[in-house]
Amino acid sequence: MKRKIAVLMVATMTAASLAACGGAGETATTAPAAEEAPAAEEAPAEEEAPAEEEAPAAEEAPAAAVDGTVSVFYYTYGDTYISSVRSALDAAFDSAGVAYQDYDSNNSQTTQTEQIDTAIAQGTSLLVVNQVDTGSDDTTKNIIEKATTAGIPVVFFNRSVSEEVVTAYDKAVFVGTDYEMAGHMQGELIGQYLVDNYDAVDLNGDGVISYVMFKGQEGNAEADARTQYGVEDANKVLADAGKEALSFYDSNNSNKYLVDQGGAWSAAAATDYLQTALSQYSEANNNMIELVIANNDEMAIGAITALQNAGYNKEDGSATVIPVFGVDATDAAKDAINKGTMIGTIKQDAEGMANTISQISQNFMGGADKFAEVDSANVVGTWRVNIPYATYTGE
Amino acid sequence: MAENKLKAKGAAFNELSSKEKSKKVIDLLLNNAMYIIIVLAVIYISIKVPAFIKLPSIVNVISLTAAKLPIALGIGGCIVLTGTDISAGRVVGLTACISASLLTTTFKVFPNMTSAPPIIVVLLLVLVVGGLVGLVNGFSVAKFKLHPFIVTLSTQLIVYGIILMYLMNGTNNGQTLSGLTEGYRSLITGTLFSIPTATGSVAVPKYVLYSIILVVVMWVIWNKTTFGKNMFAVGSNEEAANVSGVNVSKTIMMVFVLAGMMYAVTGFLDGARIASANANTGLNYECDAIAACVIGGVSFVGGIGRISGIVVGVLLLQIIFAGLNFLAVDANMLYIIKGLIILIACAIDMRKYLVKK
Amino acid sequence: MEKQITSSDSKNVLLKMEGICKDFPGVKALDNVSLTVRAGTVHALMGENGAGKSTLMKCLFGVYNKDSGHIYLEGKEINFKTSKEALENGVAMVHQELNQALKRNVMDNMWLGRFPKISKWCPLTSEKKMYDATKEVFEELEVNVDPKTVMSRMPVSQRQMVEIAKAVSFHSKVIVFDEPTSSLTEEEVEHLFRIINMLRDRGCGIIYISHKMEEILRISDDVTIMRDGQWVATRPAKELTMNEIIRLMVGRELTNRYPVKDNKVGDTILQVKNLTAQYSQLRDVSFEAKAGEVLGVAGLDGSGRTELLENIFGIATRKEGEIYLHGKQVMNRNARESLANKFAMLTEERRATGIFGILDIQANTTISSLPKYKKGPLLNDKLLSESTEWGIKAMRTKTPTQKTQIRSLSGGNQQKVILARWLLTEPEVLLLDEPTRGIDVGAKYEIYQLILDLAKQGKTVIMVSSEMPELLGVCDRILVMSGGRLSGEVSAQETSQEEIMTLAAKYA
Repeated sequence: MKRKIAVLMVATMTAASLAACGGAGETATTAPAAEEAPAAEEAPAEEEAPAEEEAPAAEEAPAAAVDGTVSVFYYTYGDTYISSVRSALDAAFDSAGVAYQDYDSNNSQTTQTEQIDTAIAQGTSLLVVNQVDTGSDDTTKNIIEKATTAGIPVVFFNRSVSEEVVTAYDKAVFVGTDYEMAGHMQGELIGQYLVDNYDAVDLNGDGVISYVMFKGQEGNAEADARTQYGVEDANKVLADAGKEALSFYDSNNSNKYLVDQGGAWSAAAATDYLQTALSQYSEANNNMIELVIANNDEMAIGAITALQNAGYNKEDGSATVIPVFGVDATDAAKDAINKGTMIGTIKQDAEGMANTISQISQNFMGGADKFAEVDSANVVGTWRVNIPYATYTGE
Repeated sequence: MAENKLKAKGAAFNELSSKEKSKKVIDLLLNNAMYIIIVLAVIYISIKVPAFIKLPSIVNVISLTAAKLPIALGIGGCIVLTGTDISAGRVVGLTACISASLLTTTFKVFPNMTSAPPIIVVLLLVLVVGGLVGLVNGFSVAKFKLHPFIVTLSTQLIVYGIILMYLMNGTNNGQTLSGLTEGYRSLITGTLFSIPTATGSVAVPKYVLYSIILVVVMWVIWNKTTFGKNMFAVGSNEEAANVSGVNVSKTIMMVFVLAGMMYAVTGFLDGARIASANANTGLNYECDAIAACVIGGVSFVGGIGRISGIVVGVLLLQIIFAGLNFLAVDANMLYIIKGLIILIACAIDMRKYLVKK
Repeated sequence: MEKQITSSDSKNVLLKMEGICKDFPGVKALDNVSLTVRAGTVHALMGENGAGKSTLMKCLFGVYNKDSGHIYLEGKEINFKTSKEALENGVAMVHQELNQALKRNVMDNMWLGRFPKISKWCPLTSEKKMYDATKEVFEELEVNVDPKTVMSRMPVSQRQMVEIAKAVSFHSKVIVFDEPTSSLTEEEVEHLFRIINMLRDRGCGIIYISHKMEEILRISDDVTIMRDGQWVATRPAKELTMNEIIRLMVGRELTNRYPVKDNKVGDTILQVKNLTAQYSQLRDVSFEAKAGEVLGVAGLDGSGRTELLENIFGIATRKEGEIYLHGKQVMNRNARESLANKFAMLTEERRATGIFGILDIQANTTISSLPKYKKGPLLNDKLLSESTEWGIKAMRTKTPTQKTQIRSLSGGNQQKVILARWLLTEPEVLLLDEPTRGIDVGAKYEIYQLILDLAKQGKTVIMVSSEMPELLGVCDRILVMSGGRLSGEVSAQETSQEEIMTLAAKYA
């Protein structure tokens, strides 16, 4: 039985002439075009199988819940946050009885595109794509075209894709975060913390906080936004409280950030940078860096290491703590925050993202409304689900 | 005696025609170009940012150099054999992850463990792991006569796969490893000695000492052992070495094993130095290491290279890194400057080995 | 002294080099050297290694830039900047050390740098044109080689023929032969001479560099002799005798070309039984060698001479056969094992398998005997330099210091360094493959003396050579190889070149 349906699905997807013999036969007897067949299949599903019926079915017999294989493409296995999403998503698919295959695109869009071709050729029923090249509409279009031709849905996640491209295909959605949001929230968190602890942070008492910003990568929309808003929004809060704006520790640096040369958002880059900076800027010279902002927790942890080597941010609380802020809320960062060596981070909800992706995938494959069972507060228009961020400053 | 020699040299120099003189001077300048570049760079940066030659900055450059030295010392041997090793960075990553997963207080990779094993055991373990990867590299190069580039390209991928699997182990889920034990961290980054300055003191971390020890050990191995002499012979002329009774396969394998162990040391040091390790740790480390060797005159021609050259190469790269940061040079320029330096260094280096016409 | 060739020949002059000077750092390589080559003649250029012959030719050829002096080709002053320019203007050179693309085939090498195009409009290289043109030149020169043979599969002598054919194919007016016969057998030498005579009759000017007196006297019209970078004499060949040439070259009388044989042959220490190679034609070779004996191995190129030594030393794969030293079987499966069993081998191709070019004399001397210089686990600098110093003294190697790169030495001195390398391993059996190849007369004598000294110390020397007089002059017995088999064994005192040649042709 199961196999029959699988055969049927493949047949429908590829718009072979067999489509006419299937359950959707009534709607399309005159060999439909590729785009029409799945659409036609979706329509009756909405009528006969409302969300309430779909969900219990999935619980009773997970193995039969949906058929076909989901192909998930991660931009790289090397990214810690993406690894959290991956393990959460694997778990979500496992418990829902969805067959899936994971791909590591290894930071190469070429690799990813080729992997997508391979998966489609194998007859995958759904693509879940963590696009490597962010900010490239052409890449997104290319992937959507492939999905359209194969007649399968595509779920983009994590790394942002643009609205117009995604909305052009009704079976495409984006599960992401409002990527600018992380920067905004980080900025507010920093601003608030500084207002509350201004004098303690202002080590040299000159009324100005000097900071360093670690950027993860050049040409990445998330990194750009976090680098910009992390400071801007903090300044807004500071201005409202009547305080001076933040000042980059090195007035000669026109970028106002230090970027990982390898583009890997790595801890080692932050350590080396900060260690070098601290050899010039110190309390003894009355120009100590008083605040560290990092695009992600990796770099924040790297910065803490350099600070610790210079005699700051000790775990036993014996030394001055230079406030360090990151994004992601990785285990290491949470650990550091709980030990007091780091102040705060912005939590990306890996599990929430994974569950949403899993739900949408099942909706697509089961023929339900694509946003069924998804928290409607997070749904943006017809194309996007935003997984909310949260601040994390310790338990 | 030395003075007489110098005088004789001076006299001989005076006898030369002006054209020959200027040629000699240019030769002298070109042959020492790397040192001249370093000196000029330091002078320029110090004028612009006087803090650059203050003690804290000098200590910073030295400790950065110390951190990047072991991997370069390892890769240098592979280059002497006219080969290369692009698996170096990943081996650093793997050994850093192993170190960080064992010498920790959280044990996410091995949830059943309750206390960290002795540090020396972990060090020996990563040395064995690094040595094993080196053995695979060396064995394939020596026995299958494959080019080291191909071999290490393959092992690099294999090691990366192992890192990813390793990090998924236990309850870790691919997360960054941290929460290292205090003993491990202080053994590496603890203060070796402090130098008092006018405004406080500057601490020199312990890993500087370890790097110095490694430099001495490698110098002895390269210059004072049968293995070292054999390595240069094999790099210079493999066929002749074979006929001369050198065990070529064994020499090649030993060079790669030694290199693997040096990467392991780098991973062991970096785990504690950065205080965290993940799948990206060590990524592309080999690029800087190879560049440093080449800048320091370890030639891809084979059979040529000195430990002092490698130290100078690493030092130069770190001076550039720190100096350009002090100058607040745009990061994009850093790539260009680094590229130019490698290019110029190689061109000058090659000059020495071209037959004069 | 005679200045140049008499003025009556001047209209015949093809190439004239005048007052050429060339300095290398610290050495005056050429000091006011002149050379005049007439059309339709063979002009021999002689001198010990380091006399400046090759340097002079490299100045002509554009490989080196001369410091001063003039070069005229057919009365027109020339100054080639590159060898390509020289070739295009009718000056070609057959180099002593073959620099060929060994992994490519014959015709690729012939036309390298000037591949024929299919047509003016189709700038693709034409394999067919290349093949036909190569074939044509080969036929003219009676060379029997398929133009599509890969170079590395051919013996050195054939590769040399390709080089000669290449020079001919440029329709050169002046062709320089730099020691062309050092790797050729007698028969091949005859072939070469036929080619040279043909070129001469066409009106080419041939410059012939060689150490072999007999050849020079046979083939050349004029002889120019150089010593220490200076011109010594130019005379018609028929006015010269061998001893006269040697006197001019060495600057002293060399009455004997071979040292007095005063070695005492002792008991048999080495027995080789039924030696057969896995991958070469060497088969079923058995012989014995005695302590204090110099045993020669003669034979044509490709007769298995080199393979015999390689199989004894274990650097070629043995299929069958046993080797006994002092009655005890030794395996000699590889060079290391042979070394441990007190064997040593000087290989034929000095540059490819002998020297470590970029390493210094010390490294080159001590590489095979490193464990000797250990003090504890480390090597001792003092012991290393003492042994190297011994090697330099014992071999009378001419080198500025121990730290000099070996590749800057002349061929003869390189050979001495390698000999020293092997002597430091204290071998009982020395296998020498063409020990005097490319070495000048004075140095050859020294090498012969060294060989006899070794024999006097009770060592067994097995020596392969293409130069029959050398074998007759130095050896006690001579093994003759033919077609991979041992075709005879003769006593050096009683045999003649004719007998050896007959044996060498037995299975060929």
